[in-house]
Amino acid sequence: MSLAAEAYVSQIAAADPWPENATLYQPLKDDQILLSDCASSLAVQAYLRMCRLPIRTRCRPNAEYMSPSGKVPFVHVGNQVVSELGPIVQFTKAKGHSLSEGLDEVQRAEMKAYMELVNNMLLTAELYIQWCDENTVAEITWPRYSSPYSWPLNHILAYQKQWEVKRKMAAIGWAGKSLAQVYEDVSLCCQALSQRLGTQPYFFNKQPTELDALVFGHLFTILTTQLTTSELSEKIKNYGNLLAFCRRIEHNFFEEHNREGDAGPASHFPKSPSLI
Amino acid sequence: MAAPLELYCWKGDWGLPSIDTDSLTVLAYAKFAGAPLKVHKITNPWRSPTGSLPALKTREEGSVSQPSKIIIHLRKQKYNADYDLSAKEGADTLAFISLLEEKLLPALIYTFWLDSKNYVDLTRRWHADNVPFPLNFFLPNRIHGQQLDRLRLVRGDSGLEPGDDIEKELYRDALECMTLLSQRLGSHKFFFGDSPSSLDAYVFGYLAPLVKAKLPNAKLQQHLTSLDNLRLFCSNILTLYFPSEGREPPSQKPSGQADGGDFDHEPHKRRKQLLSALLALGAMLGYAVLTGIVSIQRVQSQQAIDAPHRHRPQDEEDEE
Repeated sequence: MSLAAEAYVSQIAAADPWPENATLYQPLKDDQILLSDCASSLAVQAYLRMCRLPIRTRCRPNAEYMSPSGKVPFVHVGNQVVSELGPIVQFTKAKGHSLSEGLDEVQRAEMKAYMELVNNMLLTAELYIQWCDENTVAEITWPRYSSPYSWPLNHILAYQKQWEVKRKMAAIGWAGKSLAQVYEDVSLCCQALSQRLGTQPYFFNKQPTELDALVFGHLFTILTTQLTTSELSEKIKNYGNLLAFCRRIEHNFFEEHNREGDAGPASHFPKSPSLI
Repeated sequence: MAAPLELYCWKGDWGLPSIDTDSLTVLAYAKFAGAPLKVHKITNPWRSPTGSLPALKTREEGSVSQPSKIIIHLRKQKYNADYDLSAKEGADTLAFISLLEEKLLPALIYTFWLDSKNYVDLTRRWHADNVPFPLNFFLPNRIHGQQLDRLRLVRGDSGLEPGDDIEKELYRDALECMTLLSQRLGSHKFFFGDSPSSLDAYVFGYLAPLVKAKLPNAKLQQHLTSLDNLRLFCSNILTLYFPSEGREPPSQKPSGQADGGDFDHEPHKRRKQLLSALLALGAMLGYAVLTGIVSIQRVQSQQAIDAPHRHRPQDEEDEE
């Protein structure tokens, strides 16, 4: 989103309250969505639930092309369209909903740093595994990504996407990494998150923040998604407090909504057999 | 442990031990950890054992190039600057390094390589002056292209034109990152107490070029100068760990400027003289060869005319 648009959005946003018909768009849940998109989408949903803002989830096969930044998920609120967690956090803040108000300067700096850690390592590792590991590409990514399209387009689009991700990996120095090294990085990242969380219920003690939403989105998705091997989820299962953290957020923000009869959004969200 | 490890890194300037972020990070870490390194400061990445800088030549694993890998290798050799950190501080280190990479690095690349004024007046000029002769014509352009590509891919934008919007976005992220770092540092001497760790090396590597370089377009610098503790942090590390570099610039600058006309351009002048002499020699030789060929061809044609006579087998037999 350009700066002018952003300034405009934050001005407009402050005026209107959060509407009842806000909608989140993501790719098709069952046949299409990939690990990294699912994680980002879940992070946004968790964030909005933590803010107690109602949101409906819609699945669209062309969500990626509907999004203003080309990345999913994006939310449609009133007459605004905002994509990705960072801008959405800004957007809700302009509307007067914020989770990180109570933090002091140092804590806010740490929160931002840990959010970048998750983006830098977990998200990149997810992208690496789904687009650069040959087995995963052949068995999962390619069929799923190209499922909505018919013959030559499915090959062209999937190839284009893979090419783009591979070039990105080369640019950030990940192209030379082996799968084992990527798992090692994930492990390192989880260790850091686990150390930081310690025995607290959330990263900054009692109140959840956008960091908690982001971490939950990624860890929960990795834990509940079946990949070619279970190695990725095994890395997380080594850290008991992270598992407990995922269960806690699921219980507090997702199951509770279910019971209230707010079943619409919750049913779009994977149940957690592997967590128990 | 007989011979010290050899490190190849970019040459220094502007009062810094190296002008490159990654090289600075590694140099600072080695100083913090007390690792005895034999440092080769070069300006030709092709001389490095891996083809890129910085590079550490190790005994067992060949050469390693990425700063994180070099630091891990030094750590394995028992040169560990993070020995005193708690597990949580180790986690914080990882998080803040990610913050630097995601938020500050793109803006740094933009400032040094894509902002046209800075690129032409400072970065390209420095490389053209310092990189050895045939490379200096295309190496800066090549790095420029690589950095542009990198920024484009990292941001996920296909149409990245150095314009106002992108600059503002990158700088906004970078300013936020520097402010966060400044808040995290507070009034401490280093990020984790009184002794420097790897995070300090990374922050120093990212910020020191911004503090010291004389950028014509200094938007990013201006913000950094307003964050006193970060500026102080960089100059502290420079005076404590690189005392020779800190003292050099004042003595270097005047001499560089005074003799700039003669000494600085002397190699270029000689190079140009040599080049023109070679060119003239080549032209003359070319002419000579050209005319020579004509004469040789004449001889050949004479031989060719002669040859048929000689070529007759009977003739040859006769001659023999």
